[in-house]
Amino acid sequence: MSEGVEPSTDAPRTTGLGELTRVGASELAGTLASMWAEGGFRMLVDLFGSDTGEGIEITYHLRDVGSGREAGVRCAVPYDGEVPSVWERFPAALYPERELAEMFGVRLVGHPNPKRLLTTDEIDGFPLRKDATLREHSELARPGIRRGGGGGA
Amino acid sequence: MPERRSHSMPEALPGSIPAEGAVVASRLPVGLRRVPRGVDELATEHLVVNMGPQHPSTHGVLHILLELDGEEVIAAEASLGYLHRGIEKLAESRRYNQITTLVDRADYASGIHSEWAYALAVEELLGIEAPPKAQWIRALMGEINRLASHLLWYGTFGLDSGAMGPFLYCMRDREALLDILETVTGQRMMFNYVRPGGVAMDLPPEAEPMIRKFVAGFPRALSEFHDLITGNEIIQARIKGIGTIDAQTALAFGMTGGCLRGAGVPWDVRTAKPYGPYQQLDFSVPLGTVGDTWDRYMVRMEEMEQSLRMVGQLLEGIPEGEHMAKVPKVLRPPAGEAYACVESPRGELGIHLVSDGSDTPARMRMRSPALYNLSVIDEVLPGCLIADVVVIVGSLDIVLGEIDR
Repeated sequence: MSEGVEPSTDAPRTTGLGELTRVGASELAGTLASMWAEGGFRMLVDLFGSDTGEGIEITYHLRDVGSGREAGVRCAVPYDGEVPSVWERFPAALYPERELAEMFGVRLVGHPNPKRLLTTDEIDGFPLRKDATLREHSELARPGIRRGGGGGA
Repeated sequence: MPERRSHSMPEALPGSIPAEGAVVASRLPVGLRRVPRGVDELATEHLVVNMGPQHPSTHGVLHILLELDGEEVIAAEASLGYLHRGIEKLAESRRYNQITTLVDRADYASGIHSEWAYALAVEELLGIEAPPKAQWIRALMGEINRLASHLLWYGTFGLDSGAMGPFLYCMRDREALLDILETVTGQRMMFNYVRPGGVAMDLPPEAEPMIRKFVAGFPRALSEFHDLITGNEIIQARIKGIGTIDAQTALAFGMTGGCLRGAGVPWDVRTAKPYGPYQQLDFSVPLGTVGDTWDRYMVRMEEMEQSLRMVGQLLEGIPEGEHMAKVPKVLRPPAGEAYACVESPRGELGIHLVSDGSDTPARMRMRSPALYNLSVIDEVLPGCLIADVVVIVGSLDIVLGEIDR
């Protein structure tokens, strides 16, 4: 590492999401509803999943536009687990929940239109899970063409 | 050609939602009139029309399924994914400094902003800041890019609402902006210019006279644009009062940018969560009142004036110094997470990065403003006439590359 960058020695931290709360899947709907009603968080900024290796972790990023406060709610569900849809309080979740389901293979409960959003039915597996690999060089290679990219598949 | 997708996802379990979508308004706490639903539950005599993906006014490859009763829209549903390239997945196998080339291909009409949000997120993880000069150059290029993007929207919105002329004139001025961007970054689009730590190159000496010439000439062009559309009574009658999205609905659907400000909500990342040099600039945030198509139109037209003001101030104020911080060739941010957002021409463009300490991100999430802005069509199109669909979707200023990622 060259000079000019001070390596951070802090524990892993999260910035930009506000205060982060972890809840179980059963408390998720209640927590979000009370944050909507009592906390004043009327806007769902983003909803996304990530594969932790043990399951899927779903992050809800909320905001109170009037005061600018932000909050994150994080919920871990097992692979193939069930996620309650939160569209009734946060209609913004309608599209990203569909993306979450097709990309990570969790099941949506209570979603009014639970189709795939971005992918087709023909694909196998769930693209954003860590066990879904990009294709190998040999599968893509044609003579004389090298695939770019850093880590590789 | 095989059918692209079937209309059911068998493993999904609809819960307690009434089939007809006739949920009483009191059950919907956010001001929705109806349960957003797809178009597959057909009632008799209703016609399903596929608008797109090769329709002239769907801004790329948007495909909307419309369920029609005569000329009235009963339900609308966007069918997305035609431009899905798996940018979030690809980012997990690229080094940090290779990803700028991925994110600027998401929103191809304003690549600087995607790169900027990404660079801010990486800098947050690394715990560094770009030098002041780099931040001013980013803002200068960002505002120039915003003008180019708004001009493209202006032209296509003209086409959507039945005016051919504006498209020809806006391309003339956008060309001048793309020339500036090409001189500075080397590319007309997909710049790979804003990088973690700063910007790739310093401003070349020939850029300044080009920008000054543009700043001097653009006010006249802008008043020409207003003459072409804004003052035209036919256009006013055409777009006023349609596609009304009130502030409550706009927030509920996560709308940002000109669409949210058109509804009168003063949320602009540049003032609400200032980044770069915006705190030192003198500009105002235009707001609409009722949130109809006309308000969204006027907000973007005013934004062009504000961007022009900012370009002038930014050019005068660029500080001396380095354009790039000293960062290692291979970036290995410490484990952690960061969310950084910028105000792109379409709204809040955010990048959420999760680092596990290696040289590739463990997860990159792109918060696409156009995805949320588009999602409101489930709510706003039902009840409209089919001719208004094109105008309303045009007023949302979507870019499909960013929606599909």
